[in-house]
Amino acid sequence: MTMDAHLIEHMMNPKNYGTLAGSNTEGIGKNPENGEKVAVYLRVMEDEDQPYVGDIAFQAIGCTTTVVAGSMLTEEAKGLNLNGVYNLVDATLKLLEKLPPEDAACSEMVALAIKAAADTYVRRQDDPDYPAMTYQVENSCVEKEENQEKETTL
Amino acid sequence: MRTLMIKTHEAWLEMLMAGSMSRTENRQTLLDFSDILFRHFTWIEHEFICRNETYNYDRDAIPVKVTRLGDILKNITVRLNEIDLQLLSTEDKALTERISSDIRYMTGVLHHMKDETVTAFSMQRKFPDITLTQEATDALTLFLFEETYKEYELIMIYNYLKAHSEDAYLNRIFQILIDESFFHLKSFCDMSAKMGILAVPRVVMKELYQIEDVTQFLRDGIDEEFAAKEECRKLSEAVAKDSPELEKFFDFINNQENYHIALMEDALKHFLKKTNV
Repeated sequence: MTMDAHLIEHMMNPKNYGTLAGSNTEGIGKNPENGEKVAVYLRVMEDEDQPYVGDIAFQAIGCTTTVVAGSMLTEEAKGLNLNGVYNLVDATLKLLEKLPPEDAACSEMVALAIKAAADTYVRRQDDPDYPAMTYQVENSCVEKEENQEKETTL
Repeated sequence: MRTLMIKTHEAWLEMLMAGSMSRTENRQTLLDFSDILFRHFTWIEHEFICRNETYNYDRDAIPVKVTRLGDILKNITVRLNEIDLQLLSTEDKALTERISSDIRYMTGVLHHMKDETVTAFSMQRKFPDITLTQEATDALTLFLFEETYKEYELIMIYNYLKAHSEDAYLNRIFQILIDESFFHLKSFCDMSAKMGILAVPRVVMKELYQIEDVTQFLRDGIDEEFAAKEECRKLSEAVAKDSPELEKFFDFINNQENYHIALMEDALKHFLKKTNV
């Protein structure tokens, strides 16, 4: 991770960290490889045009990179309508394709948690009791060499 | 009671941060006060358990970024006075009187503390009298953020386990691990403050301390201790060229992890024997 003042500010004071009182949808991004996960809580408000993110919060069981990604992406998502949220998730995932998998996994987990929360909201329009959705990351958090070593040992 | 517990939790951490940012004789007093507030926190928790009421360790974010120590001392005093008001609604009068008496003493001392300039949030990322390479500085920065949170997380987990266990053997081990994590937390906060990157550790998610499978937790914990040893070793290597002092410190922390591993293995053996697994 290359560090600048902006990044360190997110490390020192992660934005939107914690649970969200009055949230009406939640989503989870998970890394089954190491048990890390991100939970995103949204308070979706109804507008004349379409629903938008009135407030957002996240919690993480994960590393500092995950927390920084959560802090940045939730800031971006705040105020967006649902289409905007999906565009943000797509753009993030596309950007992550250019990174090595071990660098992409943490941010992918956050993006998927946001997508899961938005999808849960959509589902709850038909079924208010629909449980929070969970998506799993495709990128591996473990570097390739280490992965191969593990496979050989097993 | 719930508000009392949250505010005491926040006051404990705020006091710990104040102690970490101080560079004068105020430091030890503030750190001692933070220990007192942690004990208050555990006594309030015990009340919840006695009453068979559910609780968790959730709290709000705690703003600590100041340029003068006096500013955070004022904030702490406000919080302590709020706690004192909350005590009116508690049933255990002995506990109430004890906490209230401690608060009266602490606010009095805080009021007369000499003010000082705070540089703990400067983001300079430079140790006084030590010049590290950019690579070593970045590695140390990341380590401090990761490990400050990790030590706080461990304190909360072991504290929760201890609060819900009546096994004296296990509780002795949990208490040692809490004490050790406190030492590490204070050391890392001190280093973070010197680097200008002091930060309050983030809130721990419930599922981490409300453990359902203690055996698995201990097994994972042993693996994590080995991983922490490796991080210390790498960091010790990264700073060795520029600072023998920091190198020795990280070797020392690395070696302390050996005892943590031994204790956790002991706890695991005891737990398995007790539960006949």
